[in-house]
Amino acid sequence: MRSVRRCAAISLAATAALTLAACGGGGSASSTGSAHVTLTWWNNATAGTLKNVWQQAATAFHQAHPNVTIQVEPIQNEAFTTKVPAALAGNDPPDIYQQWGGGQEATQVPSGKVTDLSKYTSSWIGEIGTAAQGWQVDGKQYGVPYDLHTVGFWYRKDLFTKAGIASPPATITALDADVTKLKAAHIVPIAVGSKDKWPDAFWWEYFAVRECSTATLKSAMKAVNLSNPCFLKAGRDLTSFMNTKPFQTGFLGTAAQVGAGSSAGLVGNGQAAMELQGDWDPGVMAPLTSDKNLNAQLGWFPFPTVSGGAGAATTVLGGGDGFSCTTGAAEPTCADFLKYLDTPAVQAKVVSSDVGLPANSAAASALTMPALKQVLQYSHSVTYIQTYFDTAFPTSVGQALDAAIADFFAGQGTPQSIIAAVKASASQ
Amino acid sequence: MIRVSATLGARSVPPGPAAPARRLKIPVATPVTYLVGLLLVGIIAVPLLFVIVDGFRSNAQISGSATALPHPWVWQNYSAILTSSNFWEPLANSALIAAIATALVVGLGSMAAFALSRYSFRGREGFYFLFAVGLLFPLNAASLPLYLLLDKIGLLNNPFGVALPEAGFGLPITIVILRPFMRAIPGELEDAAVVDGATRIRFFWRILLPLSRPALATVAVLAFVQSWNTYLLPLLVFTSPQRFTLPLAVANFNTQYSQNTASILAFTALSMMPALGCFIFAQRHLVGGFTGAVKG
Amino acid sequence: MTHAETAAATATNDEPAVAAVQSPRSARRPRGLRRTAELVLFLSPALLLFVGFVLLPIVLAAFDGLYNWTGFGPLGRFTGLHNYALVLTDPVFREAFTHNVIIAVASIALQLPIGFGIALLLNRRIRGRSVVRMLAFAPFVLPYATTAVMWSLLLQPGGFVDQIMKQIGLGRLVQLWLANLHLVLYTMIVVLTWQFFGFAMLLMLAGLQGIPAELREAAALDGASGWQTTWHITLPLLGPTIRIWMFLSIVGSLQVFDQVFIITGGGPANASATMATYLYQRGFASYEFGYGSAIAVIMFIICFAFALIYQRFVLRRDTRGALTRAVG
Repeated sequence: MRSVRRCAAISLAATAALTLAACGGGGSASSTGSAHVTLTWWNNATAGTLKNVWQQAATAFHQAHPNVTIQVEPIQNEAFTTKVPAALAGNDPPDIYQQWGGGQEATQVPSGKVTDLSKYTSSWIGEIGTAAQGWQVDGKQYGVPYDLHTVGFWYRKDLFTKAGIASPPATITALDADVTKLKAAHIVPIAVGSKDKWPDAFWWEYFAVRECSTATLKSAMKAVNLSNPCFLKAGRDLTSFMNTKPFQTGFLGTAAQVGAGSSAGLVGNGQAAMELQGDWDPGVMAPLTSDKNLNAQLGWFPFPTVSGGAGAATTVLGGGDGFSCTTGAAEPTCADFLKYLDTPAVQAKVVSSDVGLPANSAAASALTMPALKQVLQYSHSVTYIQTYFDTAFPTSVGQALDAAIADFFAGQGTPQSIIAAVKASASQ
Repeated sequence: MIRVSATLGARSVPPGPAAPARRLKIPVATPVTYLVGLLLVGIIAVPLLFVIVDGFRSNAQISGSATALPHPWVWQNYSAILTSSNFWEPLANSALIAAIATALVVGLGSMAAFALSRYSFRGREGFYFLFAVGLLFPLNAASLPLYLLLDKIGLLNNPFGVALPEAGFGLPITIVILRPFMRAIPGELEDAAVVDGATRIRFFWRILLPLSRPALATVAVLAFVQSWNTYLLPLLVFTSPQRFTLPLAVANFNTQYSQNTASILAFTALSMMPALGCFIFAQRHLVGGFTGAVKG
Repeated sequence: MTHAETAAATATNDEPAVAAVQSPRSARRPRGLRRTAELVLFLSPALLLFVGFVLLPIVLAAFDGLYNWTGFGPLGRFTGLHNYALVLTDPVFREAFTHNVIIAVASIALQLPIGFGIALLLNRRIRGRSVVRMLAFAPFVLPYATTAVMWSLLLQPGGFVDQIMKQIGLGRLVQLWLANLHLVLYTMIVVLTWQFFGFAMLLMLAGLQGIPAELREAAALDGASGWQTTWHITLPLLGPTIRIWMFLSIVGSLQVFDQVFIITGGGPANASATMATYLYQRGFASYEFGYGSAIAVIMFIICFAFALIYQRFVLRRDTRGALTRAVG
């Protein structure tokens, strides 16, 4: 019948259109060689100077290698936890993506999608120094860092002066005293972005770093086990510290980096005196405030010592950012691009966006911000870098730890429950 | 005493003020009614107005006082967004996907509802039950396996990867609304068509569908709105920012330009307009469709 | 035009020409192969789409839940129903489930009276009635992500809501809407009510307009007051409408995700977690796809069990005879 034929024709056309669309969708890398290669690049620079730096790097690389196009796709930091697991599970992961090394990387490697870069990097990875080890799994190089981070206190010199604090505190007792002084001057002592959970973790982990010896830390990471009593002590230290009510009102709902009301925004706008954060904080604060003079007001000091703690005062909590390539992504080209990002020229630009310390120490001289120079100086005296626990642990355990600490911050956990959460998650 | 007619449920009366033979006293609004109406308008409209109006202020004004009117009126926020592809591209993406999903749902859904309402065959209620049970699957709960499935068939980062599942998930409510509607159309019409030599297909196309217009409009609006609002599926499926749908773009804009509250508000306000506009356009048919549906 | 088409064209304006409902007689309908072909043609596209994109993922999820799976690579350890058992004993999941139930109950408790009351009032002739009706339905058509962004800005400490409250003299009642563990779930309920009450109102309104005014007249003639009329006549007649709406509302409450995810992320400390946000947290963020899938399947079973019970005990008398009557 006429109408039936018409229906059939329509459905045939629809099927054809569907097939065409399905085939046409999704950009991915083509094979290597002199053929044109497009590499998709997921990084977390959605705003700020770093975004431009990456774009320039992509363009410059293209000019040097005309057959390679790097497609920059910035993704909001918190969205990485959604998109990367899904992408690695699928067939078309991004060719280059950002990750933070350690146990997280180790969790991703079994996907079979992460390229082993060892043979491409062996000739130059030495320039990065020991930091590169954080991106190795079983001795194989699965990722390359582009910057390194140290977590410490970022504080506002103007507000410290206003509260009558002469110099940054070196011990927890001194920090408690400073918190009291700031409160007396009606200044919010410390901002924390509890909504995102990982800022809370910095606090607990630093107390752990101060209470536990280096040997204990290393074996705990390896065994994925927090049974040593020093971890319990860390929780108790944190309890006493939080009892002084040092944080801003409503800190449980404050984001870390998004919006002028975030913890970074609060410090950037002079509404809080300090924040325990990584050295990317100035770069995060800059777009959140209209204060052009911010960098001059920012100072840095390391986490104070805890009396009676077995931890070394020269141990620091830190990590870094790096990139990995996914298999099938024109491997030599991808490795070349990661190498390019670690050349002193690019590193100098990365450093200029105040995101942290360069992976390549040759670019250290490009640091302009006084506070960051201070951090660099300090890092020379560091004896051991403890990677953030949620990155050092396998991801599911790390997430469980962050969640348990966040519960603790909300008054819903105990020092014991943090240990128990890790135990429960690790045994699953 | 008052006798409620037992057949009332079966009798369908056109909505709107009843049109009886003699003049009726339709209850007149009391001052209380106006007051409640005003309160209602206030509660709904004020948050919306806040978003729209504050888009005309600068960040400095907003930090100064959240509740003041713009002084002076700042046009840049809105104009910057309206002239950037940041807004139109996601808008077009959302529109395309919603159009595809709606077309599929209405087309396939009406066909299925037709089969399920006007044919009798073994297992018919089983099929209907299957579709009705689909109401209980939230798209979000199925997002994991759906993502992997889409990946296997290569529909990631592709508008069809969003439109097809949306259509699939929209079928249950469509069929549940359409089936009773179609069933209620008298068999005499169908008989007359057959007498005239028309096939069932022609009956479907030429008579049933036009008669079902209110119900079709209802399900079309529901499907369109549902598709327009979907957030998690596009978040998973799309990696390139230029393919983002509008809700994704709003959330993204919020985090990307998080310091620029005024801009975010302007963007949010603009992103509301398509949905509101669509609704205003379709609402004439909406009440009629629902009336028929809820009568079962 | 054929007879039938002419009849159809004259019989309808916007509303379907439904005079009396009778069982259409079957007369000279094509039988056998032709009929089967038609049936297949009409039913299979929808069926394919539905089975492919809805049923298949759920079945796959049920299967994945049997494994201890990170989401990629080999499926990992077969753990049988272990994941499912873990989910059911998981305190966070139970808390999330409780939240969903609270949301469901509160949604009905708030939206039913509000929707009904406003529909009653809008059923009268007031100026600007259609504008108000449109406005009441407006939040419902807004994308959830958009309203979530909007409300999260409004509810910031010292933000718009706080300032308005201060200005109307309720300053003392200002709370940390999003940071207070005890309040955050109820804040979310308010946001959800704002978004969805228009739907309740619209359904009630449609139902009300289907009730002939003669009834009210008759009642008034018999001496019933407005309140009595409402309680004894209007409300019972709205029964089917209300019951269907309740069903949709409860199912929706069990599945709520977007607004909660964007505004609070389920926090702080899971105080506003729903089953769907918890699914997201474990399934994606923790690379625990097996566990996440188990949550998804259990969510579906909960919804399904509810639907069956509701259908059996509540909807049965509304649908008896209406949906099961054979046609043709």
